[in-house]
Amino acid sequence: MNNWERFLNIDRRWIYLLIAIVVIVPFFIRMGLPVVPTQEVRSVYDLVDSLGPDDAIFIGWDFDPGTEAENQPMGVAVLRHAFARHVPVFVTAYWPLAQGLAEMGLASVFDTRVPGNFVYVPWAEWESVRAAGYAGRDSLESAWEAAGNSLPEGARGWVFEGVDLANLGYLPYFSLVILGMGTSIANQYPTDAYGNNLHDMPILQAHKNLREVDLAVTLAGSTACMSWVVYGTSRVGLPVAFGVTAVMATDYFPYIQSGQIVGMMGGLRGAAEYEVLETEGGYTETTGKAYRGMDVQSLAHILIILLVILGNIAYFAGGFHKKTAMKNRR
Amino acid sequence: MYETIGLSVAAIFTLAVFSFLYKENPLYRFAEHIVVGASLGYSIVVTYQRVLYPRLVEPVSHGQELILLIPAIMGLLYVTRFFPRIAWMSRYPMAFLLGTGMGVAFPYDMQTLVLRQIQSTMIPLYTPGAPWFDTLGAFVIVFGTLSAIIYFFFSKPHKGPFFGFGSKVGIWIIMIGFGATFGFTVMGRISLLIGRVQFLLGDWLGLLN
Repeated sequence: MNNWERFLNIDRRWIYLLIAIVVIVPFFIRMGLPVVPTQEVRSVYDLVDSLGPDDAIFIGWDFDPGTEAENQPMGVAVLRHAFARHVPVFVTAYWPLAQGLAEMGLASVFDTRVPGNFVYVPWAEWESVRAAGYAGRDSLESAWEAAGNSLPEGARGWVFEGVDLANLGYLPYFSLVILGMGTSIANQYPTDAYGNNLHDMPILQAHKNLREVDLAVTLAGSTACMSWVVYGTSRVGLPVAFGVTAVMATDYFPYIQSGQIVGMMGGLRGAAEYEVLETEGGYTETTGKAYRGMDVQSLAHILIILLVILGNIAYFAGGFHKKTAMKNRR
Repeated sequence: MYETIGLSVAAIFTLAVFSFLYKENPLYRFAEHIVVGASLGYSIVVTYQRVLYPRLVEPVSHGQELILLIPAIMGLLYVTRFFPRIAWMSRYPMAFLLGTGMGVAFPYDMQTLVLRQIQSTMIPLYTPGAPWFDTLGAFVIVFGTLSAIIYFFFSKPHKGPFFGFGSKVGIWIIMIGFGATFGFTVMGRISLLIGRVQFLLGDWLGLLN
């Protein structure tokens, strides 16, 4: 066995060790490599940025824990953006496990220990203000603060359940649920994930079906995202944006070109680009988890490129591209 | 307190799964089985809480919407698969689901996945005033699609200027597509690792700001 052959037969655990070093070290030595937003992500951001309190969006937690690292930062970023602009948000879950992930995403936006987050006001908590008569979000906020509630230091704003947010939770056969929501959201979801009656909520009264919704952002680790296009866009013209894993991203570029989807966040990189746009737009002081991982991502890619080049050099220099050499090797 | 315990359990299971990278071991297998069991258990509870109880058990137990008993019985027929003598009964709910599923999906799928995609390749190659890269993009889309389809046309030998050259261009287009997909796949796998490392170093050990 010559040196080239030895190199090609290196124990794969050495490569794992190298990857581990490259993935851990940059978290402590920040380089701040630039992340330039692409047009696909900017389209999603611009559309959310053009919406306001009279509009509404769906954010579909259509992934399971296996792709949480990629999809969760996208969901958190879009939630922050929507809440900052007081855009009402419907949260849905395609899988049973996704309901828990959606609640984790919401909890991270409502964690007031972190500056720039939002204070969550559950539906039952503002019942007394509601009993006096609901006359729009602005008056609700004034009445809530007049009742002696004040924002904690560093918090960005209130999120009133039933006005700014409805967590609809999980339902099976979600494709049919989307189809049904084309006619009535409340018929598909009589109650939200916490058992509150959705018929009473102002968000449902203002947006009764998908025709009255301005965007659906589906965060997916599988083909679940296509359900929104097939049953949402095709049937009622619902604009859909994708937040998909990097593995899936290439499959869905044709749908941007055909105009069937608004834009796409592809993998952790897509989430990082959205975070950059949010920071540039003044919605967040600092970027989030996805951006923090980009230095690591870049270095890991450099290592993999080097390994691919070295592997090819060893392959050709060792003469393994010749059939006879291959036979001897076997 | 409970948060710390939860984080530590998650971290230990993450490390147990990572131990597979060194070699297969009982700790990894234990973690793998726990994942499957816990996911299934969680799914059953959520499905019961969100669907079965509020939409079936509650109304029917109050004598309302008794028509729900029909789909409930249809659903229960699936259980007959566990009893070989009456397993044939499970074919009825399956037939119902397949039939309605196909009926509902076919027109929408056809429209979204086929017709609109074909339509989006029928674009002008040159638009006056358009930047050069748009024109190049239009050429790549039209000729790339055509040559890839020629590669998958097996009723004629891939010889001559049309089928021979077309299929050669087609295989190059397909290979470039595979390369892009592989690149994105590498990015995705590294992203997943980054997520776990962020969890271990940041959420669990508190080493990251």
